[in-house]
Amino acid sequence: MASTISVAGLVKTFGRTRALDGLDLEVKPGEVHGFLGPNGSGKTTTIRVLLGLLRADAGTVRMLGGDPWSDAVALHRRLAYVPGDVTLWAGITGGEVIDLMGRLRGGLDRRRRAELLERFDLDPRKKARTYSKGNRQKVALVAGLASEAELLLLDEPTSGLDPLMESVFQQCIQEVKREGRTVLLSSHILAEVEALCDRVSIIRLGRTVESGTLSELRHLTRTSISVETAQPVTGIDALPGVHDVVLDHTSARFDVDTQHLDAVVRRLSTLGVRSLVSTPPTLEEMFLRHYGDEETSGAEETA
Amino acid sequence: MSARAPRVGTTSGTGILLRFMLRRDRFRLPWWLLGTGLLLLIQSTQSQNVYDTPEDLARLRETLGGNASVVALSGPTELLDTIGGEVVFEIFSYLAVVVALMSMFLVGRHTRSDEEAGRAELIRSARVGRHAPVAAALCLAGLANLAVAVVVFATAAGTGLPAGGSVLLGVATAGLGLTFAALTAVAAQVFENARGVYGAVGLAIGASYVLRAAGDVGNGALSWVSPIGWGQRTFPYSDNRWWPLLLPLGVTALLVAAAVALLDRRDFGAGLLQSRPGRATASWALGSPLGLAWRLQRGSLTGWASGLLLLGAAYGSLGNTIEEYVADNPEVADFLPGGAADVVDSYLALTILMSALITTAFGVSSTMRVRGEETSGRAEPVLATATSRSAWLASHLTVALVGGALVLVAVGFGEGLAYGLTVSDAGQIPRLMAVALVYLPAVWLVIGLAVLGLGWLPRAAAAVAWVVVGYCSIVALFADSFDLPAWFQSASPFAHTPEAPFETVTTAPLLIIGAVVVVLLAGGLIGFRRRDVGY
Repeated sequence: MASTISVAGLVKTFGRTRALDGLDLEVKPGEVHGFLGPNGSGKTTTIRVLLGLLRADAGTVRMLGGDPWSDAVALHRRLAYVPGDVTLWAGITGGEVIDLMGRLRGGLDRRRRAELLERFDLDPRKKARTYSKGNRQKVALVAGLASEAELLLLDEPTSGLDPLMESVFQQCIQEVKREGRTVLLSSHILAEVEALCDRVSIIRLGRTVESGTLSELRHLTRTSISVETAQPVTGIDALPGVHDVVLDHTSARFDVDTQHLDAVVRRLSTLGVRSLVSTPPTLEEMFLRHYGDEETSGAEETA
Repeated sequence: MSARAPRVGTTSGTGILLRFMLRRDRFRLPWWLLGTGLLLLIQSTQSQNVYDTPEDLARLRETLGGNASVVALSGPTELLDTIGGEVVFEIFSYLAVVVALMSMFLVGRHTRSDEEAGRAELIRSARVGRHAPVAAALCLAGLANLAVAVVVFATAAGTGLPAGGSVLLGVATAGLGLTFAALTAVAAQVFENARGVYGAVGLAIGASYVLRAAGDVGNGALSWVSPIGWGQRTFPYSDNRWWPLLLPLGVTALLVAAAVALLDRRDFGAGLLQSRPGRATASWALGSPLGLAWRLQRGSLTGWASGLLLLGAAYGSLGNTIEEYVADNPEVADFLPGGAADVVDSYLALTILMSALITTAFGVSSTMRVRGEETSGRAEPVLATATSRSAWLASHLTVALVGGALVLVAVGFGEGLAYGLTVSDAGQIPRLMAVALVYLPAVWLVIGLAVLGLGWLPRAAAAVAWVVVGYCSIVALFADSFDLPAWFQSASPFAHTPEAPFETVTTAPLLIIGAVVVVLLAGGLIGFRRRDVGY
């Protein structure tokens, strides 16, 4: 089946800044795709290119079988967008904004609108200037989720929401997923990504550095091992993929690249394992490794 | 141990805030001062040129003293005893409005706007007293109005008016500014948002003008309830009375006390008037890009149209007396396109042209809403719907173009109504409405240039468009009196527009201007469809 979003080698520059530098992104139909990266890595720029607001300098971009730049209006009928930094018109109420966005998109489900207002606990009669950041975000979320769009582009949609609303949001996305709709979710909230996303793409400095399911990504990183053995621990640090070894005669702590785990465990079993604790990498560690400065892929300056 | 600890009170931090506000306003305030100085400079030199003999002045007193419209527009005739007084008579109302607006925006910006935007919260979380922001804003207003007094004195004395009267004029102008600064401080406690504050204070400024006008035409009593009236009734150069200034002084003190008392009785971020809830669902009208553009601009369009309707009425009310006035003051005829012959029509042409130039300012500010929507991020979610860029741009342009026509019709209606009443001819209303529309292609051309800028040079578009408005105004108003070269004038669309009703209207130039408008709009649209949105 053709991808819902297919981006290859996307480049976008603003003057001398290279915001996107050969970005790749594949989102399959019906999946919730996590879009991760540190601040300023190009997530919002990518979404603006997908919306046809920015023109790509190089690379190919396909969405819903069309070209986001030249087929913008036709494609927009089939998608809903929730920005991360919602600015509204001061004198217009939240309810009016939701209706307006629905009508401009080509209709919205009144029953779903009412239900979402209830679930997000949003007063639609307040003028936009009196909403807090979280409430402005709710206006945009209700407007987006009340649509019947087959693709949702969500750019950090839960920034400013409280934990209760965060869980309402997650329920809503689970429902969207059950209906077979596709979601591109840019987020910093790792628990949210872990709960919702089938696959994730991690970008850094305008390039995709990792893409796959969460378990695939875990596979690419290290597992922490803490072990006690009958015989003194030897020969472990010589094995490929073993890092940060702390040896204390018959006990050891170290990290191992997950693809080399098998060889390490075989070696350990020959020493007579008394106890073994294996800790898979947390998402947090995974992302810190990708976001952090020691990961230099793409760090070279492009003049 | 803590004997030397800084005193902590409800005004702690005022000094630091004041310095910070001065920094934020360092490029803004000089423009207001420059405007104030220029208004007075032009009036003072022009009046002294036109009425250079005591006989001229005496004749002027006779003509104007009996003309209620002129008195209503300007001020009390007691001022006309001296040439300095004549300058005050003509310009004080305008100076008053400029200085009042300066003070209003200054105090509003640093009090309610900051609170509304959440900036004040950050500041108040530091060791800053509850009263410090309003105290600092009022101190800044004090400094700004002191600067106004100095500029007014220097300009008046510098153009040769007596020093004593110039000091009084400067102080009277500053006192008026302070009164409105203090009034804004009160309004900032009452209203929850800056729009409400500016609306209420703007209304008060308008009321001061109207009360003063009614008082000066009548027995003078109403002028004493208007801050503009207080300033005029110091009679600078004529009587040089200082005691009326006790009124702005006292009222300012009372208003500041009221602002402080109200501030103590409200929560941070709230006003004394809570904003009412609005509609839970959108009406049918808010369902298209055009519906949204209309909703966003209908308030300002109504404001511009009613303002220009009143201006047109003010001009029109003088139409009937203009012949007599020019006969008495032949020098004035130099300012009319037709000279002394055909005085009324040439006066109507000049005043409608001036109104059309102001309409151009409406057109540009309306068109620049597009840029405001774009840079604020509000355009993005709209363009992410099934709204094409062309439809979105066209919706705002429709409001600007049709709005420009409506504003011109309002000018013609106001001027036709007032002039028609004085000459008992209802036919003047349709006639002058049609005349005003002769200037529409020229107004549209400036809008077209602004759109071209939006399409290709979005960041520079506003600056370019306002320079064009300024250029057209200079060419239209000063080309003849200052002998500007012909090439300099020829680029202005107003230079090619027949000066109706004084000149016969020919359609050819209007059609050519219209064709240029179409090209400009199309060019701007092409550029807008090709470029990145939001940058």
